[in-house]
Amino acid sequence: MIRTEDAALYRALDEKAKAGRPCALATVVATRGSTPRKVGAKMLVDPEEGLVGTVGGGCGEGEVLEAADEVLRTGVPQMVRIDLTKDFLSWDPAVCGGIMDVFVETIIKRATDE
Amino acid sequence: MTATYLDAPAATELILSAVETGEAVVVLVLMPPSAEAGGRIVIRRAPDGTLARVGGSGDDILDAALQDLARNAMEGAEDAQEGLHSLGADDGPEVRFFLEVHRPQPELLIVGAGHIAQPLCSVGALMGFRVRVLDDRPEFATRERFPEAEEVVRIDMADPFGQVPLTPETHVVLVTRGHKYDYACLRQLLSRDDDIQYIGMIGSRRRVRAAFTELVEEGFDRERIAKIRAPVGLDLRAETPAEIAVAVAAEIVLLWRGGSAQPLADQERILPRFFEAVEGVKTRDKD
Repeated sequence: MIRTEDAALYRALDEKAKAGRPCALATVVATRGSTPRKVGAKMLVDPEEGLVGTVGGGCGEGEVLEAADEVLRTGVPQMVRIDLTKDFLSWDPAVCGGIMDVFVETIIKRATDE
Repeated sequence: MTATYLDAPAATELILSAVETGEAVVVLVLMPPSAEAGGRIVIRRAPDGTLARVGGSGDDILDAALQDLARNAMEGAEDAQEGLHSLGADDGPEVRFFLEVHRPQPELLIVGAGHIAQPLCSVGALMGFRVRVLDDRPEFATRERFPEAEEVVRIDMADPFGQVPLTPETHVVLVTRGHKYDYACLRQLLSRDDDIQYIGMIGSRRRVRAAFTELVEEGFDRERIAKIRAPVGLDLRAETPAEIAVAVAAEIVLLWRGGSAQPLADQERILPRFFEAVEGVKTRDKD
């Protein structure tokens, strides 16, 4: 219903942007099958202060963090596909059985080049 | 015309201020491979229903299409769910947007501060509703009886909703102590132009039928009468006030989320299917 976790993440994003901290924002934009988080789930990645929110706990978060790192270096947003359907028969807790597309972008205030 | 997409911090400020003022807001995020991926358009809906757009694609036709999409999303339309949407730009290929909707906190308005109102207030607050409880009896409409309520209001039954705001986020549940009060409330609600999210009324078959008959005879629009959920709640064979509150809350979630109200175990049949598969294999082995 109301997503209070969203409000908390947006407040953190607002604070970090105002403080000029370079952060990356990851958003689950599409899912197929059984995924740990639904469309709209977000995670804010601050390389120095850590994470706010989650896009999946153990499930594929490592790949998102790698992408966040790259996005922070290049400034170019990325779409990352997390495939959680592999090793479906293992008892690994990271086995969720679905696929998620995660959009990863920087939240550094963009230069107004107009 | 040039595009005027917002960056994430600017869009975030707008979302936070909209949530505070009780406005619904839709955010459209431009997706790769567009060069301006990450750019945002924010569309807010004021309580009176008017839409205001901040940021734009620079293409009037596309902006109009995005505004339609946002309006549908706020109304919960099937084809405007949160997620990716492709739209055609006037001068080129399709562009992809990620759509997300932020609704203000939903409200639960409980009319009648009796024994069902108490657990219903607790369940409503637990689900994240801003709960208001209304009653005309001072000994029932007390803060002590409803610690989780945002507000407990003593009302005049001649004008039950005179002091409380009704918005598109409002869910009204009538649990008054008698038929004439239910009827007074329903008349008021149906006389208003604004669209209320949910109207439910508790009652026996007889009591509900009496209310509906009077509304029809008084000439209220049949479609609007048909939207009233009465008797309220899912059939759980609920008996205690707490059980009834759960059944009512379950119906609100059902209508909000669009479920089937069937037990998942019966729907998925995971164990029966597993046995069927195993039996199938065994039968084949014998052949």
